Amino acid sequence: MARIKIISRELFYFLSLLLGIFIILEIIWPNIILAYGNLNYLLVLVLVFGLISLIKK
Amino acid sequence: MIKPFLTKWPFLFKLRLFFVLVGLVIILSFLYLKLVPSGHIIYERDYSQTLRSGKGFILGFTPAERVDLSGLLPKIIGDPIYFSLFTPRTFDRAQVIITYRDHLSSSTPIIEMGVLKDKIVRNYDLQPIENKTLAVLVGKWTTVGTSSLILFQLGKNYADLPSFQKDLAAGQLKDCPGGPTTCLATYNYAPIYNFQMTGIKTRPLTLSEPLRGQHQFYVYVPAHDLRLDFDFVDMNQDKAQDPIAVNLYSANKLIDSRTLGDNNPDPTSGVAEQKKLSLSASNLKPGVYKAEIKISDDMVIKKIQSSVDRLSFINKVWPVSASGNLILYTDATYLLAKAFTPASLQTINFGGQDFSLNEPYQQFEFVAPVVSRSLQTIKLTKDDVILENNGLFSWSQSSFFDPTLKKVDNHFILGQTKYILADYQTPTIRDGWKTATAAFSLIASDRENGKYSFLLSIPGLKAASGDRDYLEIKSIKIELTGRTLGQKLKSLYGQN
Repeated sequence: MARIKIISRELFYFLSLLLGIFIILEIIWPNIILAYGNLNYLLVLVLVFGLISLIKK
Repeated sequence: MIKPFLTKWPFLFKLRLFFVLVGLVIILSFLYLKLVPSGHIIYERDYSQTLRSGKGFILGFTPAERVDLSGLLPKIIGDPIYFSLFTPRTFDRAQVIITYRDHLSSSTPIIEMGVLKDKIVRNYDLQPIENKTLAVLVGKWTTVGTSSLILFQLGKNYADLPSFQKDLAAGQLKDCPGGPTTCLATYNYAPIYNFQMTGIKTRPLTLSEPLRGQHQFYVYVPAHDLRLDFDFVDMNQDKAQDPIAVNLYSANKLIDSRTLGDNNPDPTSGVAEQKKLSLSASNLKPGVYKAEIKISDDMVIKKIQSSVDRLSFINKVWPVSASGNLILYTDATYLLAKAFTPASLQTINFGGQDFSLNEPYQQFEFVAPVVSRSLQTIKLTKDDVILENNGLFSWSQSSFFDPTLKKVDNHFILGQTKYILADYQTPTIRDGWKTATAAFSLIASDRENGKYSFLLSIPGLKAASGDRDYLEIKSIKIELTGRTLGQKLKSLYGQN
């Protein structure tokens, strides 16, 4: 149980960082990420893992 | 050795290391796809699949009223339609493979695709997808040639293509007493052919009828010198800059060019600016030359002065600011007319018959009542009408001349044609779906915001006409090739 708690928290950190890097890459080279997929799905994942981390606390 | 080392790491450290490695792989993958180091990549949009549809790269179709998206696959119901291709970098060549099923009648025998070359004059490099007029001739006419360049001939006059090309270069084809312009048609190919007019006397010509936007015309130069003087008016009604370029071509090769930039800091002032540009060339070989005036629709060609009086406008004229009734001549048997303003609505007399131009901004097609080889007269009572067809226009019968070979387009009539020279490959058919390939050079193509613009043209297909003709698109696959990362680096450091 403790491991799941750590994994969900770390996934939240990882996906948040990845989302931030993707946004920076999009600003530098437009469409580099968006041509392949929608960043909203990644944002939803970030929110889901963020909420799980909060609930677990 | 490694195992005990890894087991000593705490779980959190291993988890974070894993995420960092995954993140690096993802980011490096996107950078790889951005750079395309191999110089070769394929983008495909399969409209029958929701996933892997490639919709982030192949965008469109527009305008919406010419596409029916109610079914699984898009149906093209109007001409032309546009789509664009996003690429993360520039490429040199594109090979477009389109899979489609056509429900088109015999009035729309041609499907073509093009890539935008010039944004100002909306010039597309068109390549064939399908030509049903030629498909009908296969088996009926004799064919010789290579896999792509084919000579269709009514009789069996030539056993091979080189002997035909030799006779064509000399201007004398077998069983063709009127010369190549009377019995030869072409499709997607410009053969080496030197049009000559003998025994003509030429004088200077002044055209004072103002024309709006880009125009092209042929001039026949019997001696060695040519001088063209242009008076322009920049209306300054839109915010874009309005540069002027006048190009002179001989046999599709650019031989001279003049440009004039637009330094006006206030291009929307509405204050008209007068501009002049001249082009003179000497030591020219007698023959046909093509002049291209590249200007935006915010510019008007107020006057053209030419040192020669044989001058025919190519495919389009847009007379504006005329003082009264206008009379033009064309060699085509049909006329596409569009009133640019409601004030331009009128009755047009074409080939002796009156036609009503009763809707602004809408293109009407008028067909001459009598199909003859003589010129058709166009009488306009008001200006600001865009006139187009597949032929030539002139302001007087004496200045008209036609140096062109007929083209196998949707208005093509076999008539006296005995030969057709075509650079064309028929599409392949599998399970009822046709697949055709068109190759384009992207080097001089227009690329805006990372996108190349493409056009799909089915001349004669009209969304508003009420008929149920359409073209159903299954997939578009685009293979791009360009410089590799190594070649790019070499050129940057001057080692290429």
